[in-house]
Amino acid sequence: MMRAILVKRNDPRSEDEKNELQMNELRELAEAAGYSVIAEMTQTRHPDRKYHLGRGKVDELAQIVADLKPDKVIFHNPLSTMQIYNISETCRCETIDKFQLILEIFATRATTHRSKLQVELARLEYELPRARAVISILKKDERPGFMGLGGYEDSYAQDVKNRMIRIKSELETIKKDNESLRAHRHSQGFSLIALAGYTNAGKSTLFNALVAENVESKDMLFTTLLPITRSLDVQGRDVLLTDTVGFIEDLPHWMVDAFRSTLDEIFLADVVLLVVDSSEPLEIIRKKLLVCHETMWDQLQDVGIVTVFNKTDLISEEELQECMLILGYLAPNPVAVSAKAGSGFDGLKSQMRDLLPEWKRVTLSFPISKEGMSIVAWIFNEGFVHGVNYDNGISIDFEARDKIISKAVSLVEKLSLALFL
Amino acid sequence: MFDIIAVDISGRHKVKDEYLMVCASVAASVTADHIEKVNQVAIRSFRSNSAPDILYVVKMVEDTVSELKFSGTIVTEAGDFYNKPQWLIDNMFTHDFKYQESLSERRCIEIAHHVSLSSRKLLLKELGIQ
Ligand SMILES: Nc1nc2c(ncn2[C@@H]2O[C@H](COP(=O)(O)OP(=O)(O)OP(=O)(O)O)[C@@H](O)[C@H]2O)c(=O)[nH]1
Repeated sequence: MMRAILVKRNDPRSEDEKNELQMNELRELAEAAGYSVIAEMTQTRHPDRKYHLGRGKVDELAQIVADLKPDKVIFHNPLSTMQIYNISETCRCETIDKFQLILEIFATRATTHRSKLQVELARLEYELPRARAVISILKKDERPGFMGLGGYEDSYAQDVKNRMIRIKSELETIKKDNESLRAHRHSQGFSLIALAGYTNAGKSTLFNALVAENVESKDMLFTTLLPITRSLDVQGRDVLLTDTVGFIEDLPHWMVDAFRSTLDEIFLADVVLLVVDSSEPLEIIRKKLLVCHETMWDQLQDVGIVTVFNKTDLISEEELQECMLILGYLAPNPVAVSAKAGSGFDGLKSQMRDLLPEWKRVTLSFPISKEGMSIVAWIFNEGFVHGVNYDNGISIDFEARDKIISKAVSLVEKLSLALFL
Repeated sequence: MFDIIAVDISGRHKVKDEYLMVCASVAASVTADHIEKVNQVAIRSFRSNSAPDILYVVKMVEDTVSELKFSGTIVTEAGDFYNKPQWLIDNMFTHDFKYQESLSERRCIEIAHHVSLSSRKLLLKELGIQ
């Protein structure tokens, strides 16, 4: 695991409570990105143009870095290129700010081609204003002879701009690959379940607990394709469970598209598990649920939502009841669990099972023709085919969701109707 | 299950020196993520020479809702009340009132929005405006 030191500059006269919350959030983000936090440092002052913190504080940081040898220094505050350069040089350690940290998380969670492009675009957006500065710093400090290459400075920024234009146009041309991804996984006979919720709600813990319960696993196919997806048996149904990036508050506007694209997994799921930390104050849970509804509502069609009240081991039965009652209007299909203690999983699983779209097995027969073959191809995409027989026309034996079967039946009917005309 | 009345107003911009607005209200029974039943829809039109202030918006909503046989909490987008805090607006209403939160509330407002838009379009056409 990579090790990180967290640093935060507090504004003078800012509230302690808020500062503490922000540091907590940074810690959660760092953990979500796969770092273990080995030290934390704060200083209260106005920002220094060159070092962000005071020069003396940065020297102190350099000493801690020399002692603890972290892989990265992570600042809560946005840093300018010059500050990043100066701090990394002084500390002899790679230094990033919160935005770069979030981009790292997005990058590890972006699974579809589209979401990868979105994340790259956000990274370039972050880089653009810094592209010029990088060159001038290099010129000044490291490469005195560099001045001769006058045009390079502009061409670097231009290069970043060109790449952004290229990505934007590619994003426009690729149709959402969601549908084909969904089809691909359905074709393996799996239904899709996605975990969603705020960072620290306990998604990963729940993910691991549910997967651990599952003795036999058929992962090989998917682990390489989707690093955070595992197969799971839910009361006799094969499902794929996917973890997603947690919701993060106050994202800058240029990050929002990249963030939404990492939620692709949610928008193509059959069931979404919306995980909330029920040990938090009611008002905070309400606000977080509200943001989840707001983010998802117009893209979620035809998806079952289970609201998972997690961390119930931390609160009393009365508190839990009150919480579920008051927030009922924002909490579809609520269940209470403790991911840590492993309690409540039976209720969770039967709730999931209830919401999974029904699959049925049928056999359809129709004449061999070009149209007939395209129906076969479509069924291969949408369902799980047990066998096809071409002896006397086409006869196909398959399993699929109710809706898919009705559609297949109507396609076949249309085909035979056309033959009579 | 909860009873709500989703409300949306269209036409809050000047056309030919006046404001011709249509307010649509949708009475529905919902769960957190589903509209279980749309019970009734009521629409009303309003004309005014000046841009509607908050009190006028409250009046339009109450007048329209009063035509419904069904009761429920009135739900709107915050933008309809110039993003003023909910408690402030709540105090001006005689009915229960709140801003949209859940998925189903948002979907109901979407319906109200389509109703008010299309009925206003029809109205403008019938009146020969635009
Ligand atoms: N007491 C208690 N703690 C829990 C429970 N579930 C998770 N936690 C703790 O809550 C913290 C966050 O859990 P994670 O599973 O990492 O949360 P997450 O939602 O995946 O967060 P990100 O990975 O940051 O998106 C960890 O310290 C867990 O040990 C629970 O049921 N009870």
